[in-house]
Amino acid sequence: MGNNVKGTPIVKGLGFNSFGIGTNACTVDIDEENDKILRIRPFHFDEHYTPEDLNAWKIEARGKTFEPGFKTLISPLSLCYKKRVYSKNRIPYPLKRVDWDPKGERNPQNRGTSSYVRISWDEAAQLVADEIKRVHEQYGPESVLCEYDGHGETKIVHASHGCMVKMLELCGGFTSQARNPDSWEGWYWGAKHVWGMDPLGQQSLQNNIIKDISENGDAVLFWGCDVETTPLGWGGYMASRLCYWFTDLGVKQIHISPDVNYTNAVHADKWIPVLPNTDAALQLAIAYTWIKEGTYDQAYLDTHSVGFDNFKYYVMGGEDGVPKTPKWAEKICGVPSYTIKALARYWATHAVSIGHCNGGSYIRSTFSHEPARLEVALLGMQAVGKPGANQFKFIEWTLFGMPTVTPLPPSTKIPNLGAAYRGWVHGSQPSFIPKTMIPEAIMNPPVQWYGHVSAGLPREDQFTGPFQFPLEGKERIHMVWSDTPCWETCWNGGFHMQDALRHESIECVVVQHPWMENECLLADIILPSNTKFETEDIGTDSDSGQWNVVFYERQAIQPIGESKSDKEVVAEVAKKLEQFGGPYEDLLNRYLGGKTDEEWIEFGFETCGVPDDLTFEEFKEKQYYPFPTREDWKELPVGLSQFYEDPEGHPLKTPSGKLEYYSTTLAQNFPDDEERGPIPRWVATSPSHQERQATERGRNFPFLLVSNHPHFRVHAQHDDVTWFREMEECKVTGPDGYKYEPLWIHPIDAGKLGLKTGDVAKIYNERGAVLGGVRVTERIMPGAVYQDHGSRCDTIKLGEHGLDRGGANNLIAPTATTSKNTVGEVTSGFLVNVEKVDVFQLAEEYPEAFNRAYEPACGLVATARIVEGA
Amino acid sequence: MGKAFIIDVAKCSGCRNCQIACKDEHVDNDWSPWAKPQPDTGQFWTRVDEQVRGQVPKVRISYTVHMCQHCENAPCMAAAPEAVYRRDDGLVIVDPEKAADKRELVEACPYGAIFWNEELAIPQKCTGCAHLVDAGEVPHCVDVCPHGALRFGEEEEFAEEIAVAEALLPERAATDKPHVYYLNLPKRFLAGMVVDLEADEVIIGAKVTAENLDSGEVLASETDEFGDFWFHQVAAANWRVYVEAEGYLTRMLEASTVDEDRNMGPIELFAAE
Repeated sequence: MGNNVKGTPIVKGLGFNSFGIGTNACTVDIDEENDKILRIRPFHFDEHYTPEDLNAWKIEARGKTFEPGFKTLISPLSLCYKKRVYSKNRIPYPLKRVDWDPKGERNPQNRGTSSYVRISWDEAAQLVADEIKRVHEQYGPESVLCEYDGHGETKIVHASHGCMVKMLELCGGFTSQARNPDSWEGWYWGAKHVWGMDPLGQQSLQNNIIKDISENGDAVLFWGCDVETTPLGWGGYMASRLCYWFTDLGVKQIHISPDVNYTNAVHADKWIPVLPNTDAALQLAIAYTWIKEGTYDQAYLDTHSVGFDNFKYYVMGGEDGVPKTPKWAEKICGVPSYTIKALARYWATHAVSIGHCNGGSYIRSTFSHEPARLEVALLGMQAVGKPGANQFKFIEWTLFGMPTVTPLPPSTKIPNLGAAYRGWVHGSQPSFIPKTMIPEAIMNPPVQWYGHVSAGLPREDQFTGPFQFPLEGKERIHMVWSDTPCWETCWNGGFHMQDALRHESIECVVVQHPWMENECLLADIILPSNTKFETEDIGTDSDSGQWNVVFYERQAIQPIGESKSDKEVVAEVAKKLEQFGGPYEDLLNRYLGGKTDEEWIEFGFETCGVPDDLTFEEFKEKQYYPFPTREDWKELPVGLSQFYEDPEGHPLKTPSGKLEYYSTTLAQNFPDDEERGPIPRWVATSPSHQERQATERGRNFPFLLVSNHPHFRVHAQHDDVTWFREMEECKVTGPDGYKYEPLWIHPIDAGKLGLKTGDVAKIYNERGAVLGGVRVTERIMPGAVYQDHGSRCDTIKLGEHGLDRGGANNLIAPTATTSKNTVGEVTSGFLVNVEKVDVFQLAEEYPEAFNRAYEPACGLVATARIVEGA
Repeated sequence: MGKAFIIDVAKCSGCRNCQIACKDEHVDNDWSPWAKPQPDTGQFWTRVDEQVRGQVPKVRISYTVHMCQHCENAPCMAAAPEAVYRRDDGLVIVDPEKAADKRELVEACPYGAIFWNEELAIPQKCTGCAHLVDAGEVPHCVDVCPHGALRFGEEEEFAEEIAVAEALLPERAATDKPHVYYLNLPKRFLAGMVVDLEADEVIIGAKVTAENLDSGEVLASETDEFGDFWFHQVAAANWRVYVEAEGYLTRMLEASTVDEDRNMGPIELFAAE
């Protein structure tokens, strides 16, 4: 038949992490002759290495055996990737906004509505270089805001994020958009104050917890945790396999969340629906039940905690006259008091662990530090660290290179390609702004906050400051350069961000990105970067839960259109800056670091931790090297067992070394903080947040919106994948043929609102509105509605009180941060109302927006905003 | 005999790897003579069907994979013997050349597994990735299933599974003799919770008896630590449910699973005098 059926297998890490943290090793079969990708499939650890080489692990418990398997457990988000590479939404060539003239009228108010014209790379790079030089001279380097954090393809030498700051730090500096601890907000700002657990606030001693649960556990609580979605971009389906394993063993899986997430739907033994962001009330009622019935471990608390009496006094009503009874909680959280008591009693008499995947209303809503702290408080009351009772995670099993965060048998090493990483390297900048405060910092400087606000800093950092932007004597922001143009659809109050990027103070917006999406449409200059299939690189995968592996990533195909890698994009600008001399002299060479791409790859190989006797040639030929399972893995202490057994010898990283039910450092540093006091509490509202149904706002906006990690996207990525969009579970086709982002609503609420599946509805509050395609479903409890976050913006009306067709609900999320002294995001569990809309009437009202070039299969396409002639 | 697919619904997490892998394999790739390229959207040679079952707070989802059933007596083969054939290994192939313009094949398949390609004017369907099988590999959908819910091999290897397997359309099984075998196809569930509202407590260990009013079958269960009871994989039927607990008056309720799975909700028991 003459077909090249198998093709040439190469390796690519198809993870979508921040920075250079690699995951999701895949084998990619390419057709070299035709410059084409044939297929994507699992990567096989045992292609060149035997099970003995790998020291293959297994867990045996209750007469059953769990083995990791020798091929990676990749997800559709990796499998579909050809559609991302060949997307009709790829930016074909450099673009300039038609009505942006750096020598004349810049028309900042037209960002978001103007079209673009094609320009050459030469012209584009010159324009960017000229603007940098001008802003540096006129205002100073700190007036250039760089956005270079968040998710994207994981690449090393051709890093997706931060190439521009690698260059700018060599010629004067910049202002950094700080990398918020976004995945872990409540843990970071709250739980740390109870049990330390730097850097993220979740239990960071997790070794052998899966083995422990397999042997000793009765149940796992999934508190808003979705194993079937959240790990996909950075880990795959080992977590899902573990849920099946727990079922095989008879380990009960109890889900507590407003929605039937994809894990609950197939793995749960019990679902307890709770209204969004009311978990704190439920938790307090559990504590109350235990205290009242004497079913918590007072002896453990005597030796392992401080301040429990203060907490107990609050729970029993001593402080505010309100005992936190199950009946009290029922009215707030919607869980019947008899179920709260049943859960409390089950927990008190069984070995219960709690599993997490970050995300959801539980950890990203108003005052999210409270449920996070209360969870640790409850774990402590049942002697956390005892057999079968720990907190653990289904993801991020080697985060920050920490060997203690994997609950599965670890490999001998966590390979580190940091030395070859050509993007941003972790570290705080003198001039920085928390990501959650960018719109305010642009429009209403100065702004102030506490902490360096960077994922990974120790607890004490939250007490540093206040910090301010702009720095003393410096200018405000006048230029923005982003390689992560999805603030609108991923952060807190995107309509506010649209206003910021269209503000008169912003003279130039540069975006580099492979796809024409979100903030690309607010840019003045758009530079097309490319995907990892179009470059040669090196990568790792240390989050499969199987074996850590380092691999050589051959170039699969030639670059699409005129695209260049992010590293090459910035190199074009560096070349142009050199002509100005002075601080820019020899900039290109300094930026490139004195090595070619090939040399950086080899350097990465040499420094990543592979054995000395493995040559680069052998590595390139085999295309990977796997690190075997640690010989001593079974001896590693289980979770918090050492603290459980000997709290003095193995203290926590809190001031007292113990669980702090009363945080003396919070009391000292923020004595007047009503939102995050020394004791974890139920906080209903505050001056900055009224997001409860039982408030005045709740009468106008009676539903709480839940927004989790999306099933068919990685945050804002993958929204153009035609193979997902054709599924009715992914997009709802409206009467106008447009694919709307699904909105789940319970039949009772749908009945009240006159909504049926397939209708288009407006989800709104006073900040604005987004549209959604209705799915009437039992997957969401009454009183709450559900919509994934991250859908591509397709804005009908820009800015505050705006309207978005794409269903990017972050546009209407609260702009205020988690609480007064914490700058976390609030992007789920906030108030909205829902109303049916007539899309044909809207189309008449907004003809420009509704007539944009649109292909339902792919959604918005790049050419929609490009006009002929330059 | 020959090749067979085994699809275990109980092991399917609904990830859609199989559905996307099918696209990855066949869109923009020409595997003639077995298959011409699949259009980018609109055809589902492998498709995952989602079924949301029950009512808050007892809600489950079942995912069922649909694909060509590779029937021994394939209705499509009967409809166009000159264009559809069964390979020696049992994979049924719609010949892309010989089936040109035979739109009627789409209707001939009772499983909805054949699709019309407007552009090429040919009917198309799953080939079992015959091109990969011939190269010693398994179909792409099978390779990417993380849970072994979708398996492929020689029929003899699956004797145990086949012995207890069901057919997607049981009423057609004897005629068509499909070689895709299903395990744990979703039936219905009947569930509820037993409570004493006056005491504000769930009732643990209550005896729940469900009588199938259509067949007379009687099932028994007990409420768990949360007061819950579940009858899984029961028939679509009308039920009479008896709830008994020590110290309480026995209650009898009726429930139907004819149209859908049923959560009977909290059932209140009243303390005996």
